[in-house]
Amino acid sequence: MKLNSSLVAADAFEKHLINRNRKKSWGKKAAVYALMLTSMVDMFSMLVVFLLQTFSTSPEIMLSKGVILPNSLTASQVKEAPVLAISKDGNLYLDQLLVGVATKVVTNPTKLINQLNQIKNSWAKNHVGIPFPGEVNLQADKEVSSVLVSQVMAILTSGQFQAIQLAVMGIR
Amino acid sequence: MRKQVGLGKKKDLTADLNLTPFIDLLSTCVCFLLITAVWIEIGTVEIKQSHGTAAAASKKISYDLDLVYKTATNLQLNLKKNGKRVKSFKVQAPNEEVFQAQLFETIKTNVLTFKNKSIEIATATVTPKSIVNYGSLIQTLDTLRKNEIVNIGILSAKGN
Repeated sequence: MKLNSSLVAADAFEKHLINRNRKKSWGKKAAVYALMLTSMVDMFSMLVVFLLQTFSTSPEIMLSKGVILPNSLTASQVKEAPVLAISKDGNLYLDQLLVGVATKVVTNPTKLINQLNQIKNSWAKNHVGIPFPGEVNLQADKEVSSVLVSQVMAILTSGQFQAIQLAVMGIR
Repeated sequence: MRKQVGLGKKKDLTADLNLTPFIDLLSTCVCFLLITAVWIEIGTVEIKQSHGTAAAASKKISYDLDLVYKTATNLQLNLKKNGKRVKSFKVQAPNEEVFQAQLFETIKTNVLTFKNKSIEIATATVTPKSIVNYGSLIQTLDTLRKNEIVNIGILSAKGN
């Protein structure tokens, strides 16, 4: 162990003064900080690589509130289309707007059919000469009865929405 | 004194990289990618409700498959040819996980190699039941798709 010669040679008072000076110098902080650029650039590069890997260009659809989608291993890519959702509490939504209680809509589907016809007509106006693809995204909570889903699908089919895409959570 | 050819003035081999634009670019990239990142991946299972289009010509013999739910973990598979039932298979299990595994095996070993011949399923129709929830129905559709049965329709059943 290397001893400080000044501290060894001094008497008690001198030691006290030396220590006081030292403590004063400890309190002083450097005004300029050195930034560790190498680690920062490393971190940024790793973050960019990770985010680029998870980057997706597929279209996104809004997930309705109160809908927990079932998982699927064979999920395909989502296509942009009107979204019909059946929530866990039994409400039916078309493009985030409430249509009514699903069980009642199934028995009296006039309101839903009218709204679907409006979508179809507006599509026909914007795409003159192109046949209607009849695509619709159907979101349903995983606890909802499969019969209710099939009945809603029957209404969609009767309204020329035959390409039904059941929304699921894709598992990689 | 004679000048040495090709040696000239020695260049400094250590080059300083200007880090400021590099960090700027990385920060911009990180911000853009974080904003556009998709954390929940929503997929779709396509259902074909109509039988309008003709199937492509194939060397394999083409059949139709009906899946009729009895309970949530009890299903009857009806193999049909030209609308007539050829063979029935029953799949029954104590829980959902075992049920899906058994369904996969039945389709693979009994249906797709019917009478020791490789057959093709043109369309599969699932008849749901009210006690079967939508999550279980999707699992069944998943099992069909895993067996390369992609033309799937869901029959509109009454509330029973």
